[in-house]
Amino acid sequence: MITTKGLHIGYKQQKLIKVEDLQLSAGVYILIGKNGSGKSTFLKTLTGTIPAVSGKIELNGTSIHALSESERPKHIAFVSTQFPVVDFLKVSEYLALGRSPHTAFFGKLQPRDKEMVQNALRTLDIEHLSERFTNELSDGERQMVVIARTFAQGTDIIALDEPTAFLDYQNKSEIVEKLMELGQSHGKFIILSSHDLDQSIASGADFLIVDRKEKTLSHAPAGTSKQNIIERAFS
Amino acid sequence: MLWHLFSGPIQIDGETFFSAITNFDSQQLSHNVVWELRIPRMITALIAGAGLSIAGLLMQTLFNNPLAGPYVLGINSGASLFVAFAIMAGIPMLSSDLGIIANALIGAFLFGLIIVFFSSVVRQQISLLLIGLMLGSFTSAIVSVLQSASGLQELKLFTLWALGSLQAVTLEQLPILFASFGVTVLGAFLVVKPLNLLVLGTSEAALLGVRIKRVRLLIILVTAVITGVVTAFCGPIAFVGLAVPNLIRIVMKTQNHSYLILGSLLTGAIFLLICDITIQYLESLFALPINALTSLIGAPFVILLVLRRLR
Repeated sequence: MITTKGLHIGYKQQKLIKVEDLQLSAGVYILIGKNGSGKSTFLKTLTGTIPAVSGKIELNGTSIHALSESERPKHIAFVSTQFPVVDFLKVSEYLALGRSPHTAFFGKLQPRDKEMVQNALRTLDIEHLSERFTNELSDGERQMVVIARTFAQGTDIIALDEPTAFLDYQNKSEIVEKLMELGQSHGKFIILSSHDLDQSIASGADFLIVDRKEKTLSHAPAGTSKQNIIERAFS
Repeated sequence: MLWHLFSGPIQIDGETFFSAITNFDSQQLSHNVVWELRIPRMITALIAGAGLSIAGLLMQTLFNNPLAGPYVLGINSGASLFVAFAIMAGIPMLSSDLGIIANALIGAFLFGLIIVFFSSVVRQQISLLLIGLMLGSFTSAIVSVLQSASGLQELKLFTLWALGSLQAVTLEQLPILFASFGVTVLGAFLVVKPLNLLVLGTSEAALLGVRIKRVRLLIILVTAVITGVVTAFCGPIAFVGLAVPNLIRIVMKTQNHSYLILGSLLTGAIFLLICDITIQYLESLFALPINALTSLIGAPFVILLVLRRLR
């Protein structure tokens, strides 16, 4: 359960948005709002990358911002819009880097870590990419690989900043469908921001809507009408 | 390595060499050549090549920039500038061996910090390289000013130092070289895990639990130690730190830094050794500074590298 109490988010103590008190159970949440409305700020606050201005966020009763730098990546994974392009890094090695919050000082992989990497490859159906270099992947494959990395990392929360931004229609639907499937079967919190309203509604996910005019962020369950969402997010 | 030991203007055969090691006689010229010249020179070449290559690898990964290196980013320049100050000041204590080393270390570390500062300000990779090059030009200008303002004695001393070569190191100075090399290798292996994550960029690495500030400081310290000491003894040596790690990545096709560190260490050592053998063979024709030779080989390689990335 992710819960927030009296949460205000923003940069450098500047209140940008008031977040209504949330009580989220595991599943997929799509973050909708205008450009510059604070979607990224919310994701960054949720993942502990930046501090909250006031109030708190808890994951299963523990404050996210109280977690240490080394403890946080065991529970929370954050994927930014751009995938780092790296020469000579294999997909399997990239996934193994996702295990680094769990490995010891020299980063040596234990059987458990290798198993997690294999499971992640299987879960995302990308076992055939395992030995490919990451810089030779297509955009769609790359996104699958990044999501697989967060699964290898084994976190409760997976936050994705516009994971479908650079994808064509086909790939967009595949990624969103995959995320829905994973959210339902794996008991994780998958929170992604998106610009594609129609696709988001079709996916059947819950919404977190940033109302730029009212400067609030609120939860809208799946099935909320498109009209309602547009009024809140884009008016 | 053997080839290197047997290179040089004075012919020494295997037998003499062996007896120099097992049964040293200070009266014999050839024995002295072995201990005073050949062995220190070989070890200096190995350590300088290996150390600079590791330093280059660390900087490339830290700044996420394959064209970074202690020379390009001006770490050498920092060392040179402070050595220039030390020598030109005309204070004997500063221009002693230890004084020069201490100054080179301070200069290298200081310029390392300057580069770290700029790396947090500029967004584009290329900007950092330009700043490094400008630091280099700027310091060489200051050095010129210092030179024209200094006395004949100091000028001579500095010119000799700045020419730089692998043969200036004496047997007594080798422990300092070994110590700094030890610090470098140890330091590099201590940050293998962060290095492997830094490949993804600093923000990704931080999200995966790397304590960026701490790691960055350690890397700068380590590179400053080896670059400072090597520069103090051998003068500036360009392109080794830049070219070798890139070559290694292309050959080994990996981003695992345990392998990359070892690969850079070995290749860098061998590369500089071969350069020095070449220099010794050419010595009868003309004296070629080591820095000139590494640049002759390194610069075209770096251009190839840039072209390869642009494709």
